[in-house]
Amino acid sequence: MSQPAALPIAEAGEATLRSRSGRPFQISSGLWALPALIFLMAFFIIPLAANIARSLPAEDMFRFYAVLFTDPYYLGVVWQTVKVSAITTVACLLIGYPVSYFMVRFAGRWNSLIVFLLIAPLLTSIIMRTFGWTVLFARKGLVNTMLLGADLIEKPENMVNTEMMVYVGLIHVLVPFMVLSITSVLQGVNPSLEESAQILGASKLRTFLTVTFPLSIDGIATGCILVFVLTNGSFLTMLLLGGGKVTTLSLLIYQQFTLTQNIGFAAAMGNVLLLFALIGMTIQLRFLRRKGVK
Amino acid sequence: MNASVPLSLENVTKRYGQTLALKPTSLHVAPGEMLALLGPSGCGKTTTLRIIAGFSMPNTGSVLIGGVDVTELPPNRRGLGMVFQNYSLFPHMTVGQNVAYGLKTRGMPAAERTKKVRAMLDLVRLSNFEDRSIHQMSGGQQQRVALARSLVTDPKVLLLDEPLGALDRNLRESMQFELRAIQRRLGITSIIVTHDQEEALTMSDRIAVMAEGEIVQVGTPIDIYERPQSQFVSEFLGTANIFDGTLAGPAEAGMWNVRLTLPNAPVVKVAGPPSLRGSSAIRVAVRPERLAISPESTQLRANVRGIVFRGSYYAYELDLPGLEKPIYVYSGEKTVAANDGTIGLGWPDEYAIMLSDGGVR
Ligand SMILES: Nc1ncnc2c1ncn2[C@@H]1O[C@H](COP(=O)(O)OP(=O)(O)OP(=O)(O)O)[C@@H](O)[C@H]1O
Ligand SMILES: [Mg+2]
Repeated sequence: MSQPAALPIAEAGEATLRSRSGRPFQISSGLWALPALIFLMAFFIIPLAANIARSLPAEDMFRFYAVLFTDPYYLGVVWQTVKVSAITTVACLLIGYPVSYFMVRFAGRWNSLIVFLLIAPLLTSIIMRTFGWTVLFARKGLVNTMLLGADLIEKPENMVNTEMMVYVGLIHVLVPFMVLSITSVLQGVNPSLEESAQILGASKLRTFLTVTFPLSIDGIATGCILVFVLTNGSFLTMLLLGGGKVTTLSLLIYQQFTLTQNIGFAAAMGNVLLLFALIGMTIQLRFLRRKGVK
Repeated sequence: MNASVPLSLENVTKRYGQTLALKPTSLHVAPGEMLALLGPSGCGKTTTLRIIAGFSMPNTGSVLIGGVDVTELPPNRRGLGMVFQNYSLFPHMTVGQNVAYGLKTRGMPAAERTKKVRAMLDLVRLSNFEDRSIHQMSGGQQQRVALARSLVTDPKVLLLDEPLGALDRNLRESMQFELRAIQRRLGITSIIVTHDQEEALTMSDRIAVMAEGEIVQVGTPIDIYERPQSQFVSEFLGTANIFDGTLAGPAEAGMWNVRLTLPNAPVVKVAGPPSLRGSSAIRVAVRPERLAISPESTQLRANVRGIVFRGSYYAYELDLPGLEKPIYVYSGEKTVAANDGTIGLGWPDEYAIMLSDGGVR
């Protein structure tokens, strides 16, 4: 995530001034931040600003945004985007939390192996991973063959190019982010806190709900926002597995860009996505970090 | 099976892989008693406590609370209280919420709960801290919150795992007395785990000394200190001067003559069981504060190696010809050595302790 990098820039500026006022050469001198500063300016700040400018055409400034939020079709796409991201996030949480809990509390020396298994798929291209699902669920793929062989179905089911497949693909790709976020926080929750709750009469479920869960809320929030924002930005999965059934903003941007070449409209949609991401970050920083336990 | 025994362990063992962390152990705790589990690191104190609490299943044997077998019962249904070494207070709750936790799980109505929490916070002298966050409490205060949280549910037995281990020395001492006073006032049966012998002596009615996964001696603090049965116990609780010798025959009632293995073989009188016979090897322990020194000549003469002023007493380090280890003497007065640098050494007969084991534990 590149947003936090904006902070060190301000500090770097100050450091440069100070070192100019007679300070000896030092490794933390702001001068060293200059390449990063130039890089960020050239490839992050300026493009973002340019994008905002592009989305506001001179003749009718808010034309694209007006269409996006009034036209029923585009409103539907915005809604679809939020829905897909929300469902994926919840599914990742439900799948990821137990994995994290197991890793932290029970895996012991297997922990590093599980972390490796989680990260390994991330090293494969997302296109490869997504096509993998197509192969598995194709008309003559492994899953259909097995179900046919077990006499559970009579003829091959159409499983690719469905909404379901999009979720499967998204969850597969994004669960590791959830698991790693929650694990890092759960590791800081002392097991003796859970034992304290139990000796005070709390059942396993109650212990979880009143102690473990509230203490890991920070990791849950980080994971949820990460998955939500990443889903918002995914279009390959929708493109390759959705078969046109799931249209989200990012997919639309891709299409606007490659097919209709309506770059101004694509820029406006991109900015809406950016806004979603910023809202998510704000919620986390404002309301959750403060309550969280260090 | 006696309902008046709040807690007993019957032949409990615990194995971790190849290591036997707890050899067959039986223990009975009397009502209202504070029992200390004392022993060096790794001897199985925490293991024992966790078996009682239900966090760890014994491999054999059973745990009885109030005469009822609870071996199979999970921790939340044993009705115990526990204070952990690191206090384990819930960091996302206030002091009041922490103390109320156990009452809430029991479904106590809010009004009654508030009253009990207040009363308990008064008892531990934290009356105005109810709404404080845990982070704003000092170590000693957190300690008292943990105590209040575990006591408010009226547990059948209170378990304390090194409760004062994280406090600094002065605070620890005052907390020892405070904890003991509260325990006495409530009359709550308690087990305290500690590796600090002074803490065990100060706080408990009885001490169970553990070593290498078993209880080697149980008794009152005075019993354990004045009549240790083994060299291990005598040395673990305070300092002991150990002398080897052989039995030289009976003296008056209940006493034996023992010939010490020293140059010119002095004979001393030691209390011992009537079953001794022959010329068996005898090991004798004498506490440093029971040894008497004088410039005059006695049976034993030692060279003064060093004298240290320790506030309320002087600690003498003496070399006794024929002994490898130095002899330690604690004395209120400073005794001047004779011209040849030697000093006379002796002890009243009743303070010589016969140890049951010749060997090293
Ligand atoms: N979960 C475990 N797995 C394997 N071995 C264990 C486990 N818990 C304890 N042990 C072993 O059992 C023995 C007793 O441990 P225990 O924690 O009861 O010691 P202790 O008396 O509490 O020591 P300390 O004063 O250091 O806390 C030790 O040898 C320890 O290594
Ligand atoms: Mg321990």
